Amino acid sequence: MRSFVIPQQSEGICFSSRLISIGHAAAVALLLVTPVSLHAQARMVDTTPGSAAIAITNGKLLTITHGVIEHGTIVLQGGKIVAIGAASSVKIPSGATKIDATGMTVYPGLIDSETNLGLVEIESDRVNSDLVETSEEIYPQMHVYDAFHAETERIPIDRFNGVTNAIVAPESSDTMPGQDIFIQLAGRDRDTMIVTKDVALAMNFGQEPKRGGRGGEGGAGRGFPSTRMGEISQLRQALLDAQEYMVKKAEVAKKPASAKADETESTGRKGGGPTGKFDLRNEALLPYLRGERPVILGAYEGHDVEVAMALAQEFHLKVVLNHVTHSQDVLDKIAAYKVPVIFGPIYDFPDANERYDAVYSMPAELQKRGVKIAFASYSVEFNRNLPYAAGFAVAYGLPYDEALKALTINPAEMWGMADKLGSLDIGKTANVVIANGDPLDVRTSVKQVYIDGVAIPMETRQTRLRDEYMPKK
Amino acid sequence: MTRPRTTGLATFCFLAFAVQAIAQAVPDLVLKNATVMTVTHGTIEHGSVWVHNGKIAGVGATVAAPAGATVVDATGKFITPGIIDPHSHSALGNDVNEATSPVTPSMMMIDAFDNSDKALYQALAGGVTTELLLHGSANMIGGQAVVIKNKFGLAREEMLFPNAPRSIKFASGENPKRVYGSRNQVPSTRMGNFEVMRQAFEDAKVYRKEWDDYNAKLAKGDKDLKVPHRDLKLEALAEVLSGKLYVQIHCYRADEFLTEEALAHEYGYKIRAFHHALEMYKVGDKIAKDDTAIATFADWWGFKDEAWDAIPWNAVMSMHEGVRVALKSDSNDQVRRLNQEAGKMIHYGGATEEEALRMITLNPAWIIGVDDKVGSIDTGKDADLVIWNVDPLSTYARAEKVYIDGDLFFDSSLKGFGTTHFNGVMHTGGFGGSDDEEGGN
Repeated sequence: MRSFVIPQQSEGICFSSRLISIGHAAAVALLLVTPVSLHAQARMVDTTPGSAAIAITNGKLLTITHGVIEHGTIVLQGGKIVAIGAASSVKIPSGATKIDATGMTVYPGLIDSETNLGLVEIESDRVNSDLVETSEEIYPQMHVYDAFHAETERIPIDRFNGVTNAIVAPESSDTMPGQDIFIQLAGRDRDTMIVTKDVALAMNFGQEPKRGGRGGEGGAGRGFPSTRMGEISQLRQALLDAQEYMVKKAEVAKKPASAKADETESTGRKGGGPTGKFDLRNEALLPYLRGERPVILGAYEGHDVEVAMALAQEFHLKVVLNHVTHSQDVLDKIAAYKVPVIFGPIYDFPDANERYDAVYSMPAELQKRGVKIAFASYSVEFNRNLPYAAGFAVAYGLPYDEALKALTINPAEMWGMADKLGSLDIGKTANVVIANGDPLDVRTSVKQVYIDGVAIPMETRQTRLRDEYMPKK
Repeated sequence: MTRPRTTGLATFCFLAFAVQAIAQAVPDLVLKNATVMTVTHGTIEHGSVWVHNGKIAGVGATVAAPAGATVVDATGKFITPGIIDPHSHSALGNDVNEATSPVTPSMMMIDAFDNSDKALYQALAGGVTTELLLHGSANMIGGQAVVIKNKFGLAREEMLFPNAPRSIKFASGENPKRVYGSRNQVPSTRMGNFEVMRQAFEDAKVYRKEWDDYNAKLAKGDKDLKVPHRDLKLEALAEVLSGKLYVQIHCYRADEFLTEEALAHEYGYKIRAFHHALEMYKVGDKIAKDDTAIATFADWWGFKDEAWDAIPWNAVMSMHEGVRVALKSDSNDQVRRLNQEAGKMIHYGGATEEEALRMITLNPAWIIGVDDKVGSIDTGKDADLVIWNVDPLSTYARAEKVYIDGDLFFDSSLKGFGTTHFNGVMHTGGFGGSDDEEGGN
């Protein structure tokens, strides 16, 4: 029997009490920074920034916004990136914990632009599933933040591969299943992990949401909508209703206070909506009708994309397109919409009459046409493989730098977080990853993740099992 | 081994003529100047592989190929043996499970095999040359598998792996419980699962004795013997007891590996491989003693209760415990990139390139029982070879050319549908992915 060596433990040497090799950084930083015992269920991590500085030295820095710095130093303090540059040019604050990242790659935490994290634990078990409210198709007033289970075992496993932020969306089987959240994958509680509530509205069109009518199999069903016509008319009606509600609400707002009081009294309801009724569904749609936040418009096939976009334009919605994996015929049109695209799953099977690599090569085709793209895991099981989706797109023609952007700065821009996330720049949140190689390659291991500048314990339910069953030497 | 690229429209006479003509015309093939990853004897930089009559005739820094051989310059490229998926339900359409009884050993996957399933072509484009097509997991004793070579575009019988051993699929755990429990039938518990199996083997023992007695008497020259009734189910189980069928078991949990091994000892058969086997890291040393292999996922987890303790280090930890480990897809999606699944073993557990590659070539070949023919680049083996653009274990690897028995079945440089055989055989259609239900991982 051979002894089994964990890569994390096999690399790096401790140089001094102040200079910590990243192989041991997790454990040491944990003791220094977080008041959590090593044996605790380290799911919730307090990332409240302290004042101590961490200097990561001699790494290859993938800054995203200003190129690659080959022997660079980055300093994290107070939850922010406070300095970055060539090792020779960066002054390390006295007292800083030094992490030697020689031979390592350092990059901003990756952003997964659609997951179901925290909405289900074991997929086959419906009891713990809050993936989607199946009783109605049009439910914009469903808020993912009401169900998000911050202590899910899946989050540490996801961030173990360098993912630090994500959009959590309801399952996409309804035309309008609810509003998404933008999360950070560590925090002392649910509230600190939810960065933005109601960051976007999920909207789906095409084959997938016909579950109500056609059982998702293309067969005749009993519920509405059972066709694409039904889906669009349902969406249009919901948006029209909300528009009407918005107009009435504005009228009520203009009335003198006494009139409003009368109305409230006569209906017995409070809240200030038209006729006194505060309608959750219509209220939920108002920011989207005003173009304040994006709808995430999911469609796979070219003709579906066109129809859904026509509807979005009719109501002047701000759009992020989602999926588009079988839209090869309308690539130029997608570019002309001037909207960003979450592309994938890249492992979608090609349709009939599509070449075996038609889906794989689409990100490159979109990027060539100037479309801003982001990748997503669309998963709770395979989130940790998010970077490989981008790598796969590189294999089929997407320039490497663009693939990295599609996991960092592009989604940061899409979700209104570009001032805080998505690159290694001074002033941004210190969500930083150290890995032993190319982040997009399956062979690479992440050595340390920082969130808010705090070293996250590189421990998961799976590493605990691994260590428990590791053969004794 | 050489064979005409027929459309099936040819007359028998033309076919016979073509076979003869092409058999004489096909020259030797040399793939040269590549990084050759042999699996069994290291990696040869700037190596060559010589193919003669569909077999590997030489491999090394230089080969003794005759003048006139077709030469493919693979400078800067990588060559591996064809990838082998030991767990697939492709090309079986909706006939993956005979879910009407928990014991259906007479089911033959070959009777459902649909050689036109595009999933096979998509797998081929990922470098996969051999697949074990298995019954699904609805039944404790499912049915008999078929082994194929991924010669997409050829006739059904031409895709069958010649003289491959026969396998039978068993399943335990949640799936049979769910399928039959939901109908209020046995088995609805793990106790029920194993009771069903024991009864089946008790019946098979009686059946086998009946036939053994008959054959013994026949051999002694006894006359007027009554021929025993032939029962296809019991016949298959009797073959399991006699070791004539490889036993492949869908099984997730550590306790179940032990129960299954105990049952195998009780009835005197051997388990060739546990499939899925996500908890093997807990008991690998015990299972290694029985020389039972595993066909596992690289990093699947948490999709059901019995996959909750899955860890991506399982494969490498089990390997270090002495278990022969293969990776498999169980998926029309992931079969297209098993090479990257193997690459993850470098990430999770620090496998060497050769150890990782072995998990998708020689080890699955052993599970299927064809490791003497495929799974490594060795003289005398079938010329099932893949040329990759870069290191096949990286995210960026694409299969450029795939040869099976020395014949080119996939070429990424071709436009349209991308393979000589495919172009010759079909004019319409495409590569629509099969959304057919998987075997119920």
